[in-house]
Amino acid sequence: MKTTSFPSEWTLRRAIAFFAALGIGVATYIAIAESGGGSPVCIAGSHGCATVAKSSYSHVAGVNIAVFGIVGYALLLASAFFANDAARLGGFAVALGGFGYSVFLTYLEIFKIEAICQWCVASAALMTIIFLLSATRLIGYAGTEERVRVRERRA
Amino acid sequence: MSDAPDRRQRLLKTAAGAAFLVLAVVLVLIVVNSSGGSGGDATQIEGAAEVDSLLAGIPQDGMVLGDPEAPVELVEFGDLQCPVCAGYAEEVLPPIIENQVKRGEVKIDFRNLTIIGEESVPAGAAALAAGRQGRGWNYLDVFYRNQGEERSGYVTDEFMEAVAKAAGVKDLAKWNEDRKKLTAEVEETTAEAKQLGYEATPSFAVKGPGTKGLELLGTPESTGALEEAIEEAG
Repeated sequence: MKTTSFPSEWTLRRAIAFFAALGIGVATYIAIAESGGGSPVCIAGSHGCATVAKSSYSHVAGVNIAVFGIVGYALLLASAFFANDAARLGGFAVALGGFGYSVFLTYLEIFKIEAICQWCVASAALMTIIFLLSATRLIGYAGTEERVRVRERRA
Repeated sequence: MSDAPDRRQRLLKTAAGAAFLVLAVVLVLIVVNSSGGSGGDATQIEGAAEVDSLLAGIPQDGMVLGDPEAPVELVEFGDLQCPVCAGYAEEVLPPIIENQVKRGEVKIDFRNLTIIGEESVPAGAAALAAGRQGRGWNYLDVFYRNQGEERSGYVTDEFMEAVAKAAGVKDLAKWNEDRKKLTAEVEETTAEAKQLGYEATPSFAVKGPGTKGLELLGTPESTGALEEAIEEAG
């Protein structure tokens, strides 16, 4: 198995775990700030966060989308703890869904709500990074055995 | 051992399929949302001619529509983001405007009662500012006819200005200046309505020779019920 052109899976897993942990922090802040009708604080006095938080797009089926974000990032974090194909494919699938939804939300912010929430942009950026890392991990290491990779790391 | 390349192929094909599916779903969501046309679009303000025709020849003073000497005053407490208020503006009030208001029997005083969200305040102030140029009711009715989904963030400066233009507000610079000063008035009328016990929009009250002060009507469900209340107050 030729994997020399990719970073080691161990490095990719650590990076995914790091960005997923940051994502949990961002999504948790948004969810807490919006609970009880509030909104996250935007930097430099921008009102974008309040406008986005008050928009009808901030909830799906009555649930704040930041809650879905927390769940998604937690799954991504969990996927980084296992070095098998289920974790690689599962992590990629969650990251793909999160990335796709982030693209849609960014579209809504720019063209429908006409306001930018900096925290939502931060989350979208984190999800994009995790998606790229997960895709690299899957392409580079799908089908490889954990045992083989351990030997490779030792070598 | 030959299983590994096959498994890899299967995994990558599954991933590619999933990526294609997600791309398709996102594109569909964007197309569905962009072709919504459900109001709140500053580039497509509609219904101004219809509103002009409804209100033509009726005096306007601030947010009061009708003859200042009319014996009966109907007060409407409303929120520009409220879809029920939009329904009243399009269905319930026009027959009253065309008949009792035009005949000078009643005047209608619109007052803001903001309950939907923060954007209702600047929207209400924008209507008051239009009222200072005699176009308050045009502003209200054009806004209602182009209302977007409540709290969706459509009440932008651009949207409010597009409504002002369509409503025939002549001096946009003055309107822009006035609307920023009038948020306090929006909050005052909201407090006044709440003191009367009103929490929902639209809520109505009537005052005339047949009433003892301002008589609360709540939310009459039809044109007929409002007409009856106006007649009893007269």
